[in-house]
Amino acid sequence: MKTSVLALGLVAAAALTSQAHADKLDDVIGSGTLRCAVVLDFPPMGSRDENNNPIGFDVDYCNDLAKALGVTAEIVETPFPERIPALMSGRVDVGVASTSDTLERAKTVGMTIPYFAFEMAVTANEKSGVKSFEDMKGKVVGATAGTFEAIALEKQVKEWGAGEFRPYQTQADVFLALSQGQIDATVSTSTVAQANVKGGKFAGISVVGKAPFDTDYVALFTNREEYGFVNFLNLFINQQVRTGRYAELYEKWVGGELPDLTAKGVYR
Amino acid sequence: MFSYTFHWNQALKALPQMLDGALVTLQVALLSMVIGLALALALTACRLSGNRILGGFATAWVEIARNTPALFQIYMAHFGLGNFGIHLSPYTALLAGIAFNNAGYLAENFRGALKAIPDTQTRAGRSLGMTPVQAFRYIVLPQMLRIAFLPVTNQMVWAILMTSLGVTVGMNTDLAGITQELNARSFRTFEFFAIAAVIYYLIAKAVTLAARLLAARMFRY
Repeated sequence: MKTSVLALGLVAAAALTSQAHADKLDDVIGSGTLRCAVVLDFPPMGSRDENNNPIGFDVDYCNDLAKALGVTAEIVETPFPERIPALMSGRVDVGVASTSDTLERAKTVGMTIPYFAFEMAVTANEKSGVKSFEDMKGKVVGATAGTFEAIALEKQVKEWGAGEFRPYQTQADVFLALSQGQIDATVSTSTVAQANVKGGKFAGISVVGKAPFDTDYVALFTNREEYGFVNFLNLFINQQVRTGRYAELYEKWVGGELPDLTAKGVYR
Repeated sequence: MFSYTFHWNQALKALPQMLDGALVTLQVALLSMVIGLALALALTACRLSGNRILGGFATAWVEIARNTPALFQIYMAHFGLGNFGIHLSPYTALLAGIAFNNAGYLAENFRGALKAIPDTQTRAGRSLGMTPVQAFRYIVLPQMLRIAFLPVTNQMVWAILMTSLGVTVGMNTDLAGITQELNARSFRTFEFFAIAAVIYYLIAKAVTLAARLLAARMFRY
């Protein structure tokens, strides 16, 4: 009798401890749903189609990830500034949100290896007379608050010591302000610039050149301490490239020359 | 589950920058109140004038200002007017939006205060030989301002909190704008927002206290 009680207790304790050790990877598989933070006003990475369904590179990437995990994907629309609060408050499991992997941010969240890379382009209002990156000196410029290019551009404006920088909350607001002439030029990822100029929603703007900022490598992110999950994500990104799925998605959403995701001469 | 370790020492380094932002916040709020009070007095005068066009204009203003979100009003001042080629800077758009909102609410405060003053007082003044303007100036107006004083203080607190909506139109020098920017750079969301909340609270509290002291001095019998 006594031994059976003891055994039952041990089994129960073992069950409880194994529960307590479940990490995020277990939680996701166990719950059957992968919740991805995706920015949906950032075409072609994330946007909505005519029926209001989320589409884009990041959306497909999240679906692929869910398939690899054997769960269903749930796209949680997250504006740029809300990516971290969404993760920290447990509303999402992973960010598939074109997040630049800066060291400053890596103090807060866990970054994977890069899954995409952006080049920066200058888009200008045709009446502003801005024809290149250097022409932006002394002008009113803007970008989406919290992005890699916004941080770089604001620093540049401060270095120039002339002109004004305005951060807007969404990419759509930036292009609205640009087409109205509220700002003279913006720096955005070249993919976004092309999509917005071609999209035809904003009149009187054109891409005028490249911005000489570093290549913007973007990573998936999750909680910093979730090594197990970060490991899985790293391998997943690696497999996406190896299997040619990365090239396939790039061709589908962006087109053109496939950006290299490795930095020459250094390990990650 | 909330998994987050607070790094206060890192966040507090940005405190001087945030306090600079708080000054801008206070400046916008104060300016918007000064403009709002002037506009509200004008709107009240329009409503009392008996002129149907002026009265209708004032009523429309009050209706729109009180029954649409301040966010919408500020957004319209920047992007709405921008559509027609009128370009207000984020600072001006924010100031205009809040002043518009203030004017609507304050005009309604003044109306309530006027209603609280019995008609008989004006008539008593008139029978003492005062002109209508004199009766308004010496009898009604001082009482109106006294009754409206505390609601006006409330509106000032509101104006301070409304300045945080400036981030939607690209404002980056006020407290909310600076907080957003610090957050974007480091992702230390909770520290910066907590510090900003404390600063907003302290400013609002200080304004309420100052108003109470001022009222105690001004409205002594």
